[in-house]
Amino acid sequence: MSAIRVFPEWRGKDLDGMLHAVVELLDDTEFPTVKRWREAGGKVVGHFQVYFPEEIAHAAGMLPFKMRGAPIEPKHADSHFGSYLCSILKTSLELVVSKRVELELFVTHPICDAARNLAAVFGRNFPYPCQILYLPQNATSPAARTYLAGEYARVRDLCGEIAGVTVTDEALRNSIAVFNRNRELLRKLYAIKRETPWQVAMHEAYALVAVGGLMPREEHNELLEAVLPLLETRERKKHDRVRVVFEGGFCEQPPFELIRAIGRSCYVVDDDLLIGLRWILEDLPVTGDPLDALAWGYLERSSYSPVQHDPRKQKEDMLLKRVRESNASAVILAAAKMCEPGLEEQVAYVHALDEAKLPYFVTEFEENMTSYDTLEIQLETFVENLLFV
Amino acid sequence: MRITAGLDVGSTYTKAVIVDEYGAMIGRAIAPTGFRLTEVATATLAAALGETGRTANDVAYVVATGSGRHQASFADIQVTDLTAAARGVTKLFPNTRTILDVGGQTMKATRLTPDARVHSFRLNDKCAAGTGAFLEKTARYMGYSTEEIGPLVDTSKGSTSISGVCAVFAESEVINHLSQGVAPADIMHGAIVSLVGRSVQLMKRVKLEPEFTLIGGILRFEAMGRVVREALKADVNVPEGDLVQYVSAYGAGLLAQRRLDVLGSSGAAKATA
Repeated sequence: MSAIRVFPEWRGKDLDGMLHAVVELLDDTEFPTVKRWREAGGKVVGHFQVYFPEEIAHAAGMLPFKMRGAPIEPKHADSHFGSYLCSILKTSLELVVSKRVELELFVTHPICDAARNLAAVFGRNFPYPCQILYLPQNATSPAARTYLAGEYARVRDLCGEIAGVTVTDEALRNSIAVFNRNRELLRKLYAIKRETPWQVAMHEAYALVAVGGLMPREEHNELLEAVLPLLETRERKKHDRVRVVFEGGFCEQPPFELIRAIGRSCYVVDDDLLIGLRWILEDLPVTGDPLDALAWGYLERSSYSPVQHDPRKQKEDMLLKRVRESNASAVILAAAKMCEPGLEEQVAYVHALDEAKLPYFVTEFEENMTSYDTLEIQLETFVENLLFV
Repeated sequence: MRITAGLDVGSTYTKAVIVDEYGAMIGRAIAPTGFRLTEVATATLAAALGETGRTANDVAYVVATGSGRHQASFADIQVTDLTAAARGVTKLFPNTRTILDVGGQTMKATRLTPDARVHSFRLNDKCAAGTGAFLEKTARYMGYSTEEIGPLVDTSKGSTSISGVCAVFAESEVINHLSQGVAPADIMHGAIVSLVGRSVQLMKRVKLEPEFTLIGGILRFEAMGRVVREALKADVNVPEGDLVQYVSAYGAGLLAQRRLDVLGSSGAAKATA
């Protein structure tokens, strides 16, 4: 269990003060919590989107840092990538090249051609290990679970080597318990979004989730344990707004101001923003083989995204399920510019929504965009056409 | 009788309209927006209610619109100027298919569906060119106030070309024309022609269709409607008198009535705190 705490700013404050501190942290492109962790002697695993079994890094005593790009100019990274590639690749590299964050290990995944090459690009620029975690392409193969547990064992050994420790099963089980608690708290946050969306603005909920990738998970748990009861009893005006699902935030993240703008127009009652931090849907067993438990969770108790291909979870069916379960009446279909998986999936989503006669709003975004006025008005006009039939 | 309120918190003026369940405007008020938007919205609403003898507690639903709509957080809902204007305009001119709204800081062209929904829209760029601010600055360079623009243009004998529609650079052009002895009325007329040129371009970008209706504070100046008619070679609707400034607020009040109808028929209760 980590005793290091890196985010004191929220402590001792009222709800608005805590939320303000969380938003400030998310806005800070110098990543102060990661720096504090290193100053305290900690080591950092930077893991690229979408999913990484953070429990393994945690059990090795390392900080799993979620690399989700940043609203920064990729001054150096632009020279490493073609202009036709998405922004998050460039800004994630820029974070490290510019020494905003420093790592001891970098892990990416073959979620798309561009992300698959990230390990090689990082490896040419930094002396530490830069690895690809090969999550199974065929989730229904009988060998998938065993294969994935083997991949996780490789990551475990690598983390242990870098941290200078032997990562025991007991340590892994303890980490799973910490993350189970985190998953439970995030489920509660999403229940508030779903059931009383006026109690928590879209950008507030997003910030509360996102900062989990910037601090020890025990500390994130403490933060959520303090904030959630206050959110539940918060007195906020219930506006007359359309309930929508936001789809398209699984990898590159929309700019925070855009998230804020969307939340002004409608109640976003469910979404796939930072889905990797909420990938496992249920508590994992804290007995038995922990790597097998993590592999089982990834394959059998997980959410969905355009970069995991599992015939049991057709994305359009999963989206309709998400809409149904959140009692939403419309969908925002977004995709990051140049994101092939995201843009391809929009086609299937549109067909499914048309068939289900569910209204939807299609748009694109980029993490470095700065003007949201037109997009916000388009979205508002869309929801107004639903409200004033 | 069920009454609702529409609030248009615009960049220059805030307008409030009280609407009864038959869609009639039974009270209205206007005030400069300034920079305390919540306060001015509350005060303008109270002033409009004052005309009706009703109180804030009698208002069944409030819709806020305009650029400062989110500052009127006491409203039940905030809607865009586009939707509010569409509803207000089609109440006044039911066959409208294209709206041009020229306000103090913005210009919007909207094409409507036959059932008065927003089909497509275009906004001006983020500068004062093509908005009321351009006319105001041009007038100010020549020593005239905003309220003198209308009477000044009425004395014009022809328009002088204003090529630069940038509100900042127009100053040197205006000074140049004045130094050459051009009448201020003709310069002002030229500024209106220049503004209308941009307006018509914006309307073309939404694939304009008749009937056309013009709204917004700038339409207070009769010359504006006349020049648009000449540019489009078609008739245009312009709400009479100062009603032209209240169209979006009126539309917001009508939307409030409509929303109550929808909520009532669906059995849903109005959102409350």
